[in-house]
Amino acid sequence: MDAVLDTQTGLQAFRDKLQEAGACHLEACVRCGLCAESCHYYLADPVPENIPAHKLARVADLYRRHCSPLGLLGLGRRLDEKAADDLVDAVFGRCSLCGRCSINCTVGINLPRAFRAARAALTAMGKVPRDLQGIVDLALASGNNMGITREDWLETVSWLEEELQAETGDPNARMPVDKQGARILFTVNPREPKFFPLSLQASAKVFWAAGEDWTLASEGWDLTNYGLFNCNDKEAGTITQALVDAMERLGCETLVIGECGHGFASARWEGPEWLGGTFPFKVRSFLEVMDEYVAEGRIQLDPERVSEPVTLHDPCNLVRHGGIREPQRRILRKAVKDFREMAPCGTENFCCGGGGGQLAMGAYKERRIGSGSVKARQVKATGARILCAPCHNCIDQLSELNKEYKLNVKIKSVAEIVADALVNPVPAGEP
Amino acid sequence: MLPLALAAAWCGLLLGAQVVAARRLGRRPLYAPASGRAGAGVFYAFTGALMPWAKESVRGHLVTYAAGILYHAGIAASFARLAVPARALSVVALAGALAGLGLLVKRASVADLRGLSRADDFLSNGLATAFAALAGLAWLPWAAAALPWACVALLVYLPLGKLRHAVFFFLSRRHLGAFFGRRGVWPTAPQE
Repeated sequence: MDAVLDTQTGLQAFRDKLQEAGACHLEACVRCGLCAESCHYYLADPVPENIPAHKLARVADLYRRHCSPLGLLGLGRRLDEKAADDLVDAVFGRCSLCGRCSINCTVGINLPRAFRAARAALTAMGKVPRDLQGIVDLALASGNNMGITREDWLETVSWLEEELQAETGDPNARMPVDKQGARILFTVNPREPKFFPLSLQASAKVFWAAGEDWTLASEGWDLTNYGLFNCNDKEAGTITQALVDAMERLGCETLVIGECGHGFASARWEGPEWLGGTFPFKVRSFLEVMDEYVAEGRIQLDPERVSEPVTLHDPCNLVRHGGIREPQRRILRKAVKDFREMAPCGTENFCCGGGGGQLAMGAYKERRIGSGSVKARQVKATGARILCAPCHNCIDQLSELNKEYKLNVKIKSVAEIVADALVNPVPAGEP
Repeated sequence: MLPLALAAAWCGLLLGAQVVAARRLGRRPLYAPASGRAGAGVFYAFTGALMPWAKESVRGHLVTYAAGILYHAGIAASFARLAVPARALSVVALAGALAGLGLLVKRASVADLRGLSRADDFLSNGLATAFAALAGLAWLPWAAAALPWACVALLVYLPLGKLRHAVFFFLSRRHLGAFFGRRGVWPTAPQE
């Protein structure tokens, strides 16, 4: 027999997360349907269930029954097993929380805000997809979302440092760990040490070329936070606290978030709210930092070194929800010979399909790959040979799309492209 | 007219209760330093973001957008027509009714939109369109007599269905503008 659904706990989580703004959004929808074509799920599979307003209506039904005075009149839908399952399908299975619908909403509804409240309720009731919760649990238990041990992490960094020295020809090139008082604490996505070590090496090369005073941390180095996706603020806050602890332990000035959309949104925007206070340090994206290096002439780039056409993907949490739209463009215009924007681009760009924790939820893989067809068409239309994505989660999804839709592109982070275009400073000791 | 006053009171009270219910959920204090200004985002939300060229969803559906604008203008004119028997108001109301009818036909005939729709969508549109149509025909005695009753029906139903967006449109848009404004996303700057 199934466990009894703890709807009271779910509804409390729903109210806590929804708040006034979310309630106003839920009350405002007129189901005009004009949001449909702003959603990559609908474009890939045009059925009513994929229209953002349809998904919102499921959440609004819950609100109306349990939070609005209209519930007293019997309006809305009672939260029960079936309603919860329908919600799981709508807000976990058919939404990457990209927010493209909200900027295209004729009324002005922040749909992801309402969907997050529904996810919070479902998570509180144990209805969260198990594999998504598993990633959160792993991060809480091991300090990073891939369960990389401290020894493996330090060994990888040590090995990459040797590679960096060989690549730059500078025996003094360093990838410092736990350097007290460094200006920058640099955090990374565990996918980098695990699957894309050259990406981490590229970032280190940029720091080296800029002569930056930076460090990695032996603990609290993982910038990812899947608590943003299961919408359990307590768990999300605990994961963020590891970064705060590392900053305090090392006494660094600025926390720099490597190329990761949701990692940036978590640390920069949501983290202080989860932990209930302003951080005593700055949180910046690595893109902002590299943009500064270029603007200040701290690094020199030669676009002739990246001569193939390059296009840029805009991670939703970085651009549409993060406000980081221009730094990566300024960098790429200096770093590559042929930069081509997607259509549409910037805050209007489409989600790759891997956001919102979709990469972690195996049950929806087919939908995820299908919804990525929109991004694949965008990439193909540019004719680019290199697809630049300043987000390692997006890179994972784009790599799958690359195979599935035969895009034949190389996928790189901004740092990797900058590292390719770097005009190396003369190593110390050489004329 | 007592029924009209009572309907307005019912509408105001129930809408007010819904606003209070929303407000009771509270607001979490924001601690992340802003990148932009919430106020600028709100201003943009009510100005530039409403322009037909500002949204892909509208750019691709300009006829629907125009019909929506006309429909709302017609409803506003219909309320004004209750108090002021001006022919110009009737003309705008009638145009609004035709636009509303067009939107109703679209909803009924486009499969995905029909799949998205509920009884509330048809009832809300039907009541508002009938109200506007009667205001547009108010030079006819029977229509003039029916107009206040159509308004009563509209006001009674308004807080029960999606017509409540008459209030929540403004609140929702304000919150969205503040969100994107704080994060430096709105107002949308031209690409460099």
